[in-house]
Amino acid sequence: MIIKYIIPVLLGVFAAPILGGLISGVDRRLTAWLQSRYGPPILQPFYDVAKLFGKKRNPVNTWQVFCAWLYCTAAMVSVIMFMLQADLLLIFFVQATGATFLVIGALSAVSPYSQIGGHRELIQILTYEPMLVLVFVGMYLVTGSFEVGTIAAYDNPLLIKLPLLFVVLGYALTIKLRKSPFDFSTSHHGHQELVKGLTTEYSGPHLALVEIGHWYEVVLVLLVVSLFWATNIFGAVILVAITYFAEIFVDNITARMTWRWMLGRVWFVGLAMSLANLVWLYAS
Amino acid sequence: MLGTLLFLLIILPFLAALGCYLFRMAFLRSLLVVGSGVVLTVCSLALIGLEPFEFKPPALLWLNADIVVSVLDFALLFLILYIGFRLKNNLIKFLAALQIVVMAYLELFMMEHGASHAAIRCDTLSLVMVLIISIIGSLICIYGLPYMRKHEQHLNLPRSRQPRFFAFMLVLLGAMNGLVLSNDLLYFYFFFEITTLCSFLLVRHDLTDIAKRNAERILWMNSVGGACFALAMMWMYPTTKTLELSAILQMAQGSNLMLWPLALLILAAFTKAAQTPFQSWLTGAMVAPTPVSALLHSSTMVKAGVYLAVRLAPAYHGTFLSTAVALFGAFVFMTTAALAMGQSNAKKVLAYSTISNLGLIFACAGLNTSAAITAAILLIIFHAISKALMFMCVGTIEQKIHSRDIEDMRGIFGKMPLVAMFAFIGALSMLLPPFGVLLSKWMAIEAAANNIFVIAMVAVGSAFTVVFWTRWAGVMSNFPSGRPEPDHQPFLTIAPLGLMTIGAIGVSIFAPWIYSHFVSAAVPAGADAYKISAGVFTTLSGAFWVYPLVVLMAAATFLALRAARKSRNDPHASPYLSGLTAVGPKTFIGPMDKPVNIQASNYYMLNVFGEEKLTMWVNMGALILLAILLGGAL
Amino acid sequence: MQFIKNFIAKSRAKSPWIMHFDCGSCNGCDIEVLACLTPMYDVERFGVVNVGNPKHADVLLVTGTVNPRNQKVLRNLYDQMPDPKGVIAIGSCGLSGGIFRDCYNVVGGVDKVIPVDVYVPGCPAKPEAIIDGVVKALGKFESLRRAG
Repeated sequence: MIIKYIIPVLLGVFAAPILGGLISGVDRRLTAWLQSRYGPPILQPFYDVAKLFGKKRNPVNTWQVFCAWLYCTAAMVSVIMFMLQADLLLIFFVQATGATFLVIGALSAVSPYSQIGGHRELIQILTYEPMLVLVFVGMYLVTGSFEVGTIAAYDNPLLIKLPLLFVVLGYALTIKLRKSPFDFSTSHHGHQELVKGLTTEYSGPHLALVEIGHWYEVVLVLLVVSLFWATNIFGAVILVAITYFAEIFVDNITARMTWRWMLGRVWFVGLAMSLANLVWLYAS
Repeated sequence: MLGTLLFLLIILPFLAALGCYLFRMAFLRSLLVVGSGVVLTVCSLALIGLEPFEFKPPALLWLNADIVVSVLDFALLFLILYIGFRLKNNLIKFLAALQIVVMAYLELFMMEHGASHAAIRCDTLSLVMVLIISIIGSLICIYGLPYMRKHEQHLNLPRSRQPRFFAFMLVLLGAMNGLVLSNDLLYFYFFFEITTLCSFLLVRHDLTDIAKRNAERILWMNSVGGACFALAMMWMYPTTKTLELSAILQMAQGSNLMLWPLALLILAAFTKAAQTPFQSWLTGAMVAPTPVSALLHSSTMVKAGVYLAVRLAPAYHGTFLSTAVALFGAFVFMTTAALAMGQSNAKKVLAYSTISNLGLIFACAGLNTSAAITAAILLIIFHAISKALMFMCVGTIEQKIHSRDIEDMRGIFGKMPLVAMFAFIGALSMLLPPFGVLLSKWMAIEAAANNIFVIAMVAVGSAFTVVFWTRWAGVMSNFPSGRPEPDHQPFLTIAPLGLMTIGAIGVSIFAPWIYSHFVSAAVPAGADAYKISAGVFTTLSGAFWVYPLVVLMAAATFLALRAARKSRNDPHASPYLSGLTAVGPKTFIGPMDKPVNIQASNYYMLNVFGEEKLTMWVNMGALILLAILLGGAL
Repeated sequence: MQFIKNFIAKSRAKSPWIMHFDCGSCNGCDIEVLACLTPMYDVERFGVVNVGNPKHADVLLVTGTVNPRNQKVLRNLYDQMPDPKGVIAIGSCGLSGGIFRDCYNVVGGVDKVIPVDVYVPGCPAKPEAIIDGVVKALGKFESLRRAG
């Protein structure tokens, strides 16, 4: 009982955001390093979030408060479900619930910046969602199951059978992490055409909730990445580390593109690669 | 007992319709509509547990019921022919004449009459349909009462047209109940044609030019379906020597001779369910008063099409036809969801979303595993409730703001909080866990996982779905701070909306119970596609947590609501407008210090997803797939 | 509970998100402000992020003279920053209106419109001075910690 349920739940609730915050801190450090800067302390994301929690509540309307909370909790639930080895599709649907509410919260504000950010985020969701479903289908075709436990217990690394789908997941990951060239729903730096886009109107504690929700999401996506080398913990960690570094690298060497480019490019390349990889699986 | 129930379910609506038509008093009409709604609901509930049964309709006075149906059928066809002449529409004339000839040939020269048979048959699938039609359909009719009163207030008609309106609405309910309970294809066909005629008359109701034009389109497109149906019956009769559905289903398995008639029946189902390239009749039907749209979309008319496909599923199991139907359904699911992306007209979004969901149901029927059929039936249930709710909300909102454009619903939460909440829940119930539509979508994805093309199209289509629903929900909640002003709606408007909202949440929560008590028994061959323990649907390949998710999401919603309540008294910030926020929350300081209204609008991406851009390609793709479907059946 | 309070108070000083508003500066001070973010000075070391959005900002950096037109904007941006917050006026113009002080269209320094916590002089102010100003403004948050 304890090992099967309570520990995974506790890990999901507490360890995931800590890990997510640390990853975010490392991310900023590495980015600084790539830009020949020194960068903030690794714990910086925690300071940021703590500070935001300490600010006065000043929402634009009550919908936004509702949505920020649901975004964070849905992201948390999705990580818990992953820890409890639920169905990948279901986990992902729950995560999508959170993403949906984040957008609704942004759309509920009158500010056009927030509106545009919300719509762009929707296009991002539109772009990565089919890709993720196809990745899960690929996993199913190899292992015969959509469940995390069964997929993780498969005796060979999935990467060997699903190399193209791993690249597709990379696209989805870049979009989900809101990294360049797909960072157009919000950005990490001010002074851009849409201010902070999606998150413009979230402030103080509610922005902190959004940030924590994002950590949960990052952890979830990286956990999915780790499934590609689930046979060995070191393999998984190394794969995740390489993938994440590649994300940061891509973030730093590319410029933001338009949604049209993203949708066309990712769907065309992504669907072609997914179908190719799925056809292999059928053939073998 | 059984006879009485069936009489009440099928014939009573016709009688009540007659009453509505003849007695023009508003009070009596309300009484008749509410009364038959209550009777239908009670009778459909009373039917639970009695199935499966077969029933031989008794002779009416001295006339055999079969003969009555045949005679009425011809009367109906001649009526449609007459309408064709009145409208000077050659296509309708031709199709009606074709049906008359085919039916006459079939009935006079081919069929052996007189053999007594059970024309009415009720199994669990029929029961599920009867419940949907009777309960949801009745609620929509009741909702129609205050709606139509308001509707006519604006029109200043010399003579109220409400009597005929409610008459046709009730006839539609009776016909649908008859349709899903028919075991004899002739009965089925008869009711099939009644639904066509009713929707023609209902869409025409307002008698505007566009209403007349779109109604005409309904008639000819559905006559194509009717003609296919008649041809299919004629084609299969020499092989089967009977038109009893249950017998045909048994005979058809493994018989290649039956594929063509089956393909024709499926084609009839496609036209009825407004699948591409026939989608324009349903999108055109949006000109009708909203209760009509709600009824056509959720519980009647289009559901006749998917019901037929699901009913026939065992007959074409394992054939090429089945795969073709799956591909076609998935194609429709994806493309019409894309068409919905480009729409700002709320009713059109709903229309395309309906077509899209029906496509998914067809895809499931085509996949034809027991898991897929389960998904199809569950989707029929969940979709009916959510869609009825959405239509009724849009109708109510439209009467308040006099627009059905999503852009005009910006901040509707501030003007009619309760209805906006219902609409919000309705929209979310179409796409979020733990709501039932998502459960069936999950089932559909897992069932489709072995067919690459189907799964790819389903994956893309469901992403479109997320976008246009979220966009809409967001727009409705777009509301500057402050308390919304309360809005007063008549009880007969709020009650159906409230009941439907509770229903949408309720059926989602009790999905495992509904599955094990109704749906599993309705799935032919393989009742245990899903194992259920502690509210979790389990298959070999995955699991959908219903109860755990309900608990978790309810807790999350509770926390969020509590936080939102608490922050009601917080100081609310003005929106960020580059520091130029003016006095009102929706204006900024423009040139010459004059306030300027903020204009923000949704992305509709018209140059990618616009109706004009996409429809031609979609129709072309659909025609190619239909050609493959029919060609492959040969 | 006390630990969390302390951590939040400590975090305030460690994570000043800034928002830079140019009231009507000649761009000299603005360039110096942006210079702080370059690898040369790299204020992100101290957790400083230029967020460009009042709703996320803790510290408002204002450069340039205030005039009747932009004083509303300044006021509005300041109001939209959630508490606790600080304001830093930068450069001669921001401090007092500078050489434009007596112009017919100039209101004066930033403190004519919103309360200013730290004044950073210079024409233009040096990046080092601006960083020092931010650190001084953090002192305000520090005192909040001691008070609260």
